[in-house]
Amino acid sequence: MSERPTAQELTEAVVEFLGGEILPTLTDRRLRFRMLVALNALGIVHRELDALPAEDDSELRELVRKIREGDVPPGTLRRVKSHVEARLRIASPQFLERYR
Amino acid sequence: MKDAFQAGLSELLGREVEITEPVLLAGGASKEAWAVDADGERLLVRRAAATLIHHRTLTLAQEYAVIEAAFEAGVKVPRPYGYIADLAGREAFVMERLEGETIGRRIVQMDELAAARGRLPVQLAEELAKIHAIPAERLPFLPDARLERRGEDLDEVGEPHPAIELGLWWLRKNRPPERPRVVNHGDYRIGNVVVDREGLVGVLDWEFARLDDPVRDLAFGMVRAWRFGVAEKRLGGIGDAGPFVERYNELTGLDVRPEELDYWELAGNVAWAIGTLTQAQRHLSGLDRSVELATLGRLSAEVEYEICHLLEQANA
Repeated sequence: MSERPTAQELTEAVVEFLGGEILPTLTDRRLRFRMLVALNALGIVHRELDALPAEDDSELRELVRKIREGDVPPGTLRRVKSHVEARLRIASPQFLERYR
Repeated sequence: MKDAFQAGLSELLGREVEITEPVLLAGGASKEAWAVDADGERLLVRRAAATLIHHRTLTLAQEYAVIEAAFEAGVKVPRPYGYIADLAGREAFVMERLEGETIGRRIVQMDELAAARGRLPVQLAEELAKIHAIPAERLPFLPDARLERRGEDLDEVGEPHPAIELGLWWLRKNRPPERPRVVNHGDYRIGNVVVDREGLVGVLDWEFARLDDPVRDLAFGMVRAWRFGVAEKRLGGIGDAGPFVERYNELTGLDVRPEELDYWELAGNVAWAIGTLTQAQRHLSGLDRSVELATLGRLSAEVEYEICHLLEQANA
């Protein structure tokens, strides 16, 4: 699934936040050390994700182009909704659970 | 910073003022918010941040002019004190610092504000009626909102989002008869108002002001994201739409129909879905690196789910 920010980009944002804003405020030596270890772990995740092939979103782009042209056959909404649901199960599963 | 504020505020108020140490408040990525007292008067200074939130927003000088116009029209807004072209290198405007709650989740949930929630729907309708009566010629710089612009905004993001696209398609197909355009607040919802135990204290955040259909403003506060977890209360998690719309109709002489509200609620969701994406773009483009903005990009899925739900209800 092609989502922005991608998992890599989210990891990067967390690294910047922890390394740039939190680390400098830590005075406890043990916490500082563990934060550096955690940042290193996130770095591993980031590089591992980076090595994965990029997602192919050509099908989605084609669907979007068709809708823009007014080509919306029956069943389009159902298809689109289940796609959003799949994204939500990753981005915000509790939102789906609470939705009535 | 204190010296710059001291000089700027003294010049603005036309006298040497004693000020407290300015305190930078949290929140507000496009504009800084500084709390400062000058000779005991509670002031809030909005000062430009390094970047703009969105290229469709007003400049600080324009936003200040809108607040002035609203104040003159008798809308509950912070008293405007003036515009400062150069406050430590950036433009700023000064207004009264109102007392009360602004955090949406608290307004919707706090026990102490239960009575206020009872009054808010009618109060919000009364202020909106006054806002929509502000003469548009007083604010010639206001942009004219068009649905087509939303598609352009989405194209600028450059990611495929079929749910948003489907929402735009339905909105193009089902436009209600156009109403005469009025001055819209543009972001009229819980989270952009100050509330105390008595109810509405003031309307904030005017940078999205524009000319638009009056029902657009009326329905924006019904967008699910602005119900702050109390989804069953359609008006911003505080109440039903009924009393709010009835009072608005009574004051304006309009007869807003339920299907118009539905249309503009969907339009509000589409606008906010695109909004989350453009905010995330600020992070991704390097304009304003922030983990909050980055995460907002993924929140789009929640809004898109609501768009699908509303489209189902509309039998699209």
